[in-house]
Amino acid sequence: MMIFLASIMVLGLLGFVFAALLGMAADHFRVEVDPKVEAIAAILPGANCGACGAAGCYNFAERVALGEIVISGCVVGGKEVAEKIGSIMGVEVPSDYHKKIAAVHCGATTKDRKKLARYEGVAKCSAAHQLRGGGLACGFGCLGFGDCFCVCPFDAISMEGGLPKVDPDKCTSCGKCVAACPRRIISIVPHDFGAVIACSSKDPGAMVRKICPVGCIGCKICEKAVPEVYKVVDNLAVIDYSAQGVDPAPAIAKCPTKCIVK
Amino acid sequence: MSELLGIFFAAFLINNILLIRFIALCSFFGVSTKLDTSIGMSSAVIFVMTVSSAISWIAYNTVLAPLHLEFLRTAVFILTIASLVQLEELYLKKAIPALYRAMGIYLPLITTNCAILAVAFLAIDYKYNFIQSMVYSLGVSGGYSLAIILFAYVRERTALAPIPKWFQGYPIAFITAALMSLAFLGFTRMFGL
Repeated sequence: MMIFLASIMVLGLLGFVFAALLGMAADHFRVEVDPKVEAIAAILPGANCGACGAAGCYNFAERVALGEIVISGCVVGGKEVAEKIGSIMGVEVPSDYHKKIAAVHCGATTKDRKKLARYEGVAKCSAAHQLRGGGLACGFGCLGFGDCFCVCPFDAISMEGGLPKVDPDKCTSCGKCVAACPRRIISIVPHDFGAVIACSSKDPGAMVRKICPVGCIGCKICEKAVPEVYKVVDNLAVIDYSAQGVDPAPAIAKCPTKCIVK
Repeated sequence: MSELLGIFFAAFLINNILLIRFIALCSFFGVSTKLDTSIGMSSAVIFVMTVSSAISWIAYNTVLAPLHLEFLRTAVFILTIASLVQLEELYLKKAIPALYRAMGIYLPLITTNCAILAVAFLAIDYKYNFIQSMVYSLGVSGGYSLAIILFAYVRERTALAPIPKWFQGYPIAFITAALMSLAFLGFTRMFGL
């Protein structure tokens, strides 16, 4: 009985002493935190996704307050959060701020895809890609098993006709789908630019014509229509997204295979 | 003096806590991917282990042993070590912010590490006096630092080496650790210890 009481007393007393010590120390060694850090941390989405490059949202707030990261650094919060942080920091949001989203560089739905063989392996893009591209004739296009759809933490990707579709309102350009796609057909682009090349094929035009109705054939019509924006490299049109302010629309109408989309 | 040196080298090399005793392996594999994280972890281990073995020796020999409450040592050690590290963290944040930033996340992480508790237990099992247990904890934490820093050097190289896909990452790390452990077995019976 004695030992029972003694052990309760000792543990209770030790706990009490340490609690008191810690309480006193917390008060005595209090460090003043920049109030801006707390204010910024309260605004942030709190997803701790790490897409900004900082170790979590609080670390982002600390580094913004120190001026190490620009106020529009939070890709999830977008312009709205950037403006709020700007009002705390007393900085204007730069006028060249553009929301970025993930864009899919393939336009072939399941019925457009020509198959050379039937694939019955694991229903994952990563597996199909290693097995001769899942029997797909196109060595560059979407495999359609939705690895990007599975990995998206914000529910921004839906699969329509075997092709991922990005919801621009939900997409935060975190880049998880870019990394998940084994064929590298997703990239992060400025949302308001108004043009995306929906093809990744570097095959010569004649070959693309045989296997895909919506592939880029490298005809250079877009390059002639809007030379500031489009460039055909390796039989594939690419967009120079730094050419802001130039309207890319004329080429969209002229593209013979309609592989430039808004 | 030679006895203290013996305790130090036995803990440092011959009974190296990571490679011979296989304690604290989680941090050994977790933070050894880069050299600077392993150095940060090592400094936190040296700091926390020395202070915690001192305080747990005092707690054991002044409170638990006289009251014959030795069976409470696990609970008491965890309580004292956890509170102490909290206290250290608060103090460092205020007094030496540079050191606090250097140790960063590793200080609270190491608090719950098994090596810290193991050293407190082992020093008591060996019936060391206060000075001996301090030397012992210095030896153990020095051995920890030696092993993890060497290991980080090797892992930085293996990260760039052309390793078969199935061996990349943890498999090759475990193989490396096993080879290092074999090398450390060579220290057995050194200095007649």
